[in-house]
Amino acid sequence: SHIYKKNHDVTKTWKGKTEQLLRVDDHDFTMRPAFGGPAIPVGVDVQVESLDSISEVDMDFTMTLYLRHYWKDERLSFPSTTNKSMTFDGRLVKKIWVPDVFFVHSKRSFIHDTTTDNIMLRVFPDGHVLYSMRITVTAMCNMDFSRFPLDSQTCSLELESFTSHHVSLMLYWKNGNESLKTDEKISLSQFLIQKFHTTSRLAFYSSTGWYNRLYINFTLHRHIFFFLLQTYFPATLMVMLSWVSFWIDRRAVPARVSLGITTVLTMSTIITGVNASMPRVSYIKAVDIYLWVSFVFVFLSVLEYAAVNYLTTVQEWKEKKRRERFPCMCGIPHSKTMVLDGNYSESDANSLAGYTRNQMVAEEEKQEKMVVHLAMINESNSSRKRGLKGHVGLRIIQNTHAIDKYSRLIFPGTYIFFNLIYWSVFS
Amino acid sequence: REIKMRKLDSTKVRPEQLLRIEDHDFALRPGFGGSPIPVGIDVQVESIDSISEVDMDFTMTLYLRHYWKDERLSFRSNKNKSMTFDGRLIKKIWVPDVFFVHSKRSFIHDTTVENVMLRVYPDGNVLFSLRITVSAMCFMDFSRFPLDTQNCSLELESYAYNEDDLMLYWKHGNKSLSTDEHISLSQFFIEEFSASSGLAFYSSTGWYNRLFINFALRRHIFFFVLQSYFPAMLMVMLSWVSFWIDRRAVPARVSLGITTVLTMSTIMTGVSASMPQVSYIKAVDVYLWISFLFVFLSVIEYAAVNYLTTIEERKQLKKRGKASGMYSIDAVQAMAFDGCFHDTDVDMDLPAFSDRCEENETRAHAASVSNVDTTRIKRKRSLKGNVGRMILQNNHVIDTYSRIIFPSVYIVFNLFYWGLYI
Repeated sequence: SHIYKKNHDVTKTWKGKTEQLLRVDDHDFTMRPAFGGPAIPVGVDVQVESLDSISEVDMDFTMTLYLRHYWKDERLSFPSTTNKSMTFDGRLVKKIWVPDVFFVHSKRSFIHDTTTDNIMLRVFPDGHVLYSMRITVTAMCNMDFSRFPLDSQTCSLELESFTSHHVSLMLYWKNGNESLKTDEKISLSQFLIQKFHTTSRLAFYSSTGWYNRLYINFTLHRHIFFFLLQTYFPATLMVMLSWVSFWIDRRAVPARVSLGITTVLTMSTIITGVNASMPRVSYIKAVDIYLWVSFVFVFLSVLEYAAVNYLTTVQEWKEKKRRERFPCMCGIPHSKTMVLDGNYSESDANSLAGYTRNQMVAEEEKQEKMVVHLAMINESNSSRKRGLKGHVGLRIIQNTHAIDKYSRLIFPGTYIFFNLIYWSVFS
Repeated sequence: REIKMRKLDSTKVRPEQLLRIEDHDFALRPGFGGSPIPVGIDVQVESIDSISEVDMDFTMTLYLRHYWKDERLSFRSNKNKSMTFDGRLIKKIWVPDVFFVHSKRSFIHDTTVENVMLRVYPDGNVLFSLRITVSAMCFMDFSRFPLDTQNCSLELESYAYNEDDLMLYWKHGNKSLSTDEHISLSQFFIEEFSASSGLAFYSSTGWYNRLFINFALRRHIFFFVLQSYFPAMLMVMLSWVSFWIDRRAVPARVSLGITTVLTMSTIMTGVSASMPQVSYIKAVDVYLWISFLFVFLSVIEYAAVNYLTTIEERKQLKKRGKASGMYSIDAVQAMAFDGCFHDTDVDMDLPAFSDRCEENETRAHAASVSNVDTTRIKRKRSLKGNVGRMILQNNHVIDTYSRIIFPSVYIVFNLFYWGLYI
């Protein structure tokens, strides 16, 4: 067995084991250094490797970090000429005292163990110890979604000793605010990570006393672009599509109704889609406000057409009653039922097109005769039409078109106004 | 000596005695206090299990082999052959603590026993092999999704020992990385595997050797062409059908337009469901939103056509109101609202409308062939004919232009898009 004094290979010169070097056998790992004396200060240093995920539904976040502890244990000091530290295998940790730091409000956490436990133990000759491990922890974060998705969330990871309160163990950030470092590439797809900073405080437990608690705080700003593309744009387009209905002729009943009802359906689908990925909170979110107001607009466009349609029918009845006062040689009852297949049945022809006669079977010949008769009537009618019904007809056109005309201006104007208010309040 | 040799080969000699485990301090690395110990690494990638866009990570299964020399483990042997020991022996000797930087989850397979191999050569060279599955982070850029290529890498480093204590290197240079022949993914084409090495600095603990396993993945686009691009294209083409339908068929054209809008909206929601919520626009978003715009515009176009038709009709009716006589409704307008075709002009006195279109047409034919036709023709030619033709010409102009403009603009957009991204 050679002794290579040049590179000072301890495994060759030192026949003993680490346990003897660090006097592990005499070391009682259940007792902290300076047991019975003043509190032992333990410095903490954190390097955040990544923020793996933020979950809104579970209201938690997952972070991977390197956690380093620094303390002085004189029982572990050893003689050394070079004053260099010695790095030991992680399995030695089981035999010495280490601080029992845990993460308050954590749901799941583990120390990575591939290929071996990711633990580092480095001891300096004077007994200073550097103890480092790589941990992934999932911790709770209370999130407030009242401004979702234009919100910012502030989360924090809290470190505390489980057993030793402030009298026995003093936990502190080793380099103050510089103790917290992050990898350069740390980024999330949905959030902008604003800042990491550290704070420390005391936490009180009624049964066990005061404990030092260290906080890793960070603020996350949500990127709104995804929600603009996914939710706001489709909702706006659906509302605009519902306005198309005001420009279509009011006589096209199936067209306007199906347009209105399909936009309502699409809005409903968008609303359901947003809520699928959200926790069920008891207050209203910013995105809910936008979607529900848009839904109300679309809904109102359907109601508007129902009103237009109803008023047209009412006018039709009035016309029928007025006409019944005058004798009609044709003796053909002019039915005025409005057929639900979308045809107007003002059976005496008016300026408006699109009439249907119901229950008129085998009336062809009569129709021709009617032509003759009605020609006379029509002439009288026409004069009256020009006088009275013409006015009524024109008024009818004007009346319903008035509602449509107003709607063409009111709906877009109100919606733009709502948008201005919404974006100025929440941005 | 013969007895000794036989004893050496028999199971009666315990490995602990052979390798002098009792004296071996696993806490001290070989060459403790001296120069850094070189540890060679060799990797054989068994499979890439999955790539997840939503989590931005990949899962890989590999055989990881370490080679180093520990003289404390040397033993006497005549044949210079290595001896293979059970994996449980590693708990008692020193092994390098290589870990995967930026890994989320990893484990050493342990069926049926821990997949660990320990082979010691008489001179103290050790081969330590593990089978590991690791999920590691990979930062992905989706701005060209699904026509994108992702570069991912798996990083190996020693956890405790920096470059003063342990020197990690690829054992055979670039050839240290080998892959199974059947390694393949369903959605990606694995372009190349390469090995590289570097140094990483930690402010509190110093410089560490880091080894990289780099690979590039090119996405197969076929699935997305079938799933997103084709349906979107077909929906846009379907919306063009509306320009060829008679403008008098209001419910038909409106429901065609609105249903294609609804379908486009559903396609877009479907694509976003399996994607991470990124803050920039992806290539597939560009395509789907522009297609949505085309479909939307076809609905607006028909609203314009319909509105102009109504205005013309009102003008025409006012004109007719002044000229006395029968009010006759141009079949062009009059038939629009029940969706039935009317060949004949409809006189107001002559109800040619009915609940059913067939009855209507037969009645029209029967009743109007002789009488109304002539009058209709006359009138058509005289007054309404002009107006009718004017109306027909006006609105058909918008439709006629749309039939050409919409498809050509869409084709130009497609040429641009595919030329830009492929």
